[in-house]
Amino acid sequence: MKRNYVLETPGEMKAMYQAYNEEMVELSKKNGKIVLLYGDFPHGAAGELLQKEHPDRIYDVGIAEANLISTAAGLAGGGYLPFTHCHSIFAIGRAYNQIRQNVAFDKLNVKIVLCNSGMLLAFMGGSHQIIEEIAAIRVIPNMTLVSPADPISTKKATAAIARHVGPVALRLSGSPVPTMYRDDFPFELGKAAALTDGSDATIISTGMVLSDALEAVDTLEKEGIKVRLLDMHTIKPIDEEAILKAARETGAIVTVEDSSIIGGLGGAVTEVVAENSPVPVKRVGVKDRFGQAGTVPELKEEYELSARHIAQAVREVVKKK
Amino acid sequence: MAHDENLIQKLTEKARIIRRDAVEMIKAGDGGWIGGSFSQADIIAALMFHHMKHDPKNPHREDRDRLIVSKAHCCETVYAALGEAGYFSKELYQSYGKMGATLQAHTERIVPGIEYSGGSLGEGLSFALGEALAARIDAPRDSSGRPIPRYRAFCIVGDGESNEGQVWEAVMASVHYKVDNLVAIVDHNKFQSGASVEERMNMMPWADKWKAFGWDTTEIDGHDFEAILTALENADKVKGKPHAIIAHTTKCKGVPSFENKNLHFCKLSDEMYAEAMEALK
Repeated sequence: MKRNYVLETPGEMKAMYQAYNEEMVELSKKNGKIVLLYGDFPHGAAGELLQKEHPDRIYDVGIAEANLISTAAGLAGGGYLPFTHCHSIFAIGRAYNQIRQNVAFDKLNVKIVLCNSGMLLAFMGGSHQIIEEIAAIRVIPNMTLVSPADPISTKKATAAIARHVGPVALRLSGSPVPTMYRDDFPFELGKAAALTDGSDATIISTGMVLSDALEAVDTLEKEGIKVRLLDMHTIKPIDEEAILKAARETGAIVTVEDSSIIGGLGGAVTEVVAENSPVPVKRVGVKDRFGQAGTVPELKEEYELSARHIAQAVREVVKKK
Repeated sequence: MAHDENLIQKLTEKARIIRRDAVEMIKAGDGGWIGGSFSQADIIAALMFHHMKHDPKNPHREDRDRLIVSKAHCCETVYAALGEAGYFSKELYQSYGKMGATLQAHTERIVPGIEYSGGSLGEGLSFALGEALAARIDAPRDSSGRPIPRYRAFCIVGDGESNEGQVWEAVMASVHYKVDNLVAIVDHNKFQSGASVEERMNMMPWADKWKAFGWDTTEIDGHDFEAILTALENADKVKGKPHAIIAHTTKCKGVPSFENKNLHFCKLSDEMYAEAMEALK
C-alpha cells in the first residue's frame, strides 16, 4: 500500500519539546506578541533566546501552576500571545479550573503546552503519567486540543496553534520519538491525516503511538488485511467527516492513544461513530489504570499499547464486521 | 494633603448612586451579593470616578487602567458604576441575573468595562498580574531602567477569598517581578460566606503577610475617601514593588440596619428594599 506524507523509514529520534522549541525560536523572533511562561519547567531554546534578547517576554512563576495559567490569561487580556509550559499532569490536575474559567470561558488566546504528556513517560512513574488529559480538556467548551505524533508534526502543530486565535492545549510526549513525517507534510488543524488508504479497517491514532500504529499496518498488510491509518492530531474539534468516511468505507475502527480510553480519543471517536454510523470499534489505550515506572517499550507492553496489541485489536474488530 | 472638597462630595454622591442602583438590580434579579458589593462600593467609586484612566466610549482602548474584581460575585456595585459612567444603559439593570442577561451574577467580560470573568475565587490577582505584566512589555524605560507601564491594574481581593492558596502564589510572583503597576485592594469586610473571617479561618495579621512578601502595604478605612485617594496616589509613587491596600470596611455599608449582619447572598423583601432605598435616597 502507498504511504502518504511519511518517510520510507523512521528518521531521527527527538523529544517533542525540543522540536517545539526549535519552532518557537523562529516564531518568537517573528512575533513580538509571544510571551513564554513556565512553572519551573526547563525553558528550552525558545526561553533561552527570549531571556537573552527580550527578558520582558519570559516569566517563570515557580512551582505554581494555578498562577501560571491565570497570569497567562491576564497577559492575553492585555493583548499578548502567551504560551504556558509545565508538566501536563499539573496543568490539568492543579490548574483545571484556571484553564476552564480564566482561559476557555472567555476564549482567551492562551496556548497551554502540556509537557510530558501521556502514559508513555519513562521512569517518572504513576504520579507523573497523565491518562486523563484528553478527556479533561475536550469536555471544556471553546478548547482546541492538538496531539502531534512526531518532531515534524510537532513543529507544524506549533506554527498552526500560534496562528489560530483562541485557547489551545498542545500535548507533547516527554519521551523521544522517531521522525515519521516528511518535511512537506501538510498539517491542517482539525483535519486528520490519512497515512494509508486501506479498506478492511481503520486505525485512528493520536500522539506518539502513531509509529506503533504504522508498524501494525505493515504487519496486517502481510496478512492480507488492508488498513487505513488516520493520524487524528487534532482531537478537538475532531474530524467527524474523516471518522464517518472511515466507518462507511472500511466498516471497522481501532483507536490508539497513550491515554485513558475512557473519554480519550477512544471515547471521542466512539461518540461520533455510535451516533452517526455504528460499526465495530476497539479502543487501544490505557484501561482504567494508573501508570508506573518503566522504559517506553516496557510500558507499551504492560499497558497493551504496542504494535502487536494494535494489530491484534484490528484482527478482532475485523471479525466483528 | 487633603483632597478637594468638591471631589470628595462628588465621590460620596457617586457611591450613594451605585449602592442605590445595586439595590434596584438585586431587587430585579431577586437576589444578589449586597454585603460584599456595598463594602467595596466606596473603593469602586474612587477608582471609577476619579483615579482610573478609562473611557466609557472606548472600553477597549489599549492603555486603559484595568479593574479586576477578583471577588466577582460582588458585581452589582461594579455594574452600577459602569452604568453610571456610561458604559451601557441602566435599562440593563432590570435583567440582572435573568436568563439571557448581559449582567450575570458574577462579572463577565462580555459586559463593556468588565475585564475579568470571575466566580472562582482566588484567581483574579493572578489575572491582574498578567494584565500588569502586559503593560510593561516593550514599554519605554525611566532613567533607572525600569519600564514605564502603559497602564495600571487594580485588583479587589476579598478577605474570605484570601483563604485560597493561589492568592499567595500571585502575591509571591508580583514581588519577584517587581510589578509596581499592580495595586491589590483587600476589601477586609470581616465576613465570608458562612461566618466571620476570624471564626472561619483566622488570617490575622493581614498587613504583615503582604509586607512579609515584600509588598508596599498600607492599611486604611475603606469608607474614607480621603484615605482611599491618598493610598491610591501613594501607590503611584512607590517604585519597584506592587502595592497592597488593606481596606477596613463594613459588610453592607450604606444601609445602617443591614451593616455587619453578614448579608452575603440575599434576597430583598419589600420591607428590606424600602428600608435600603430610604437609607440611600
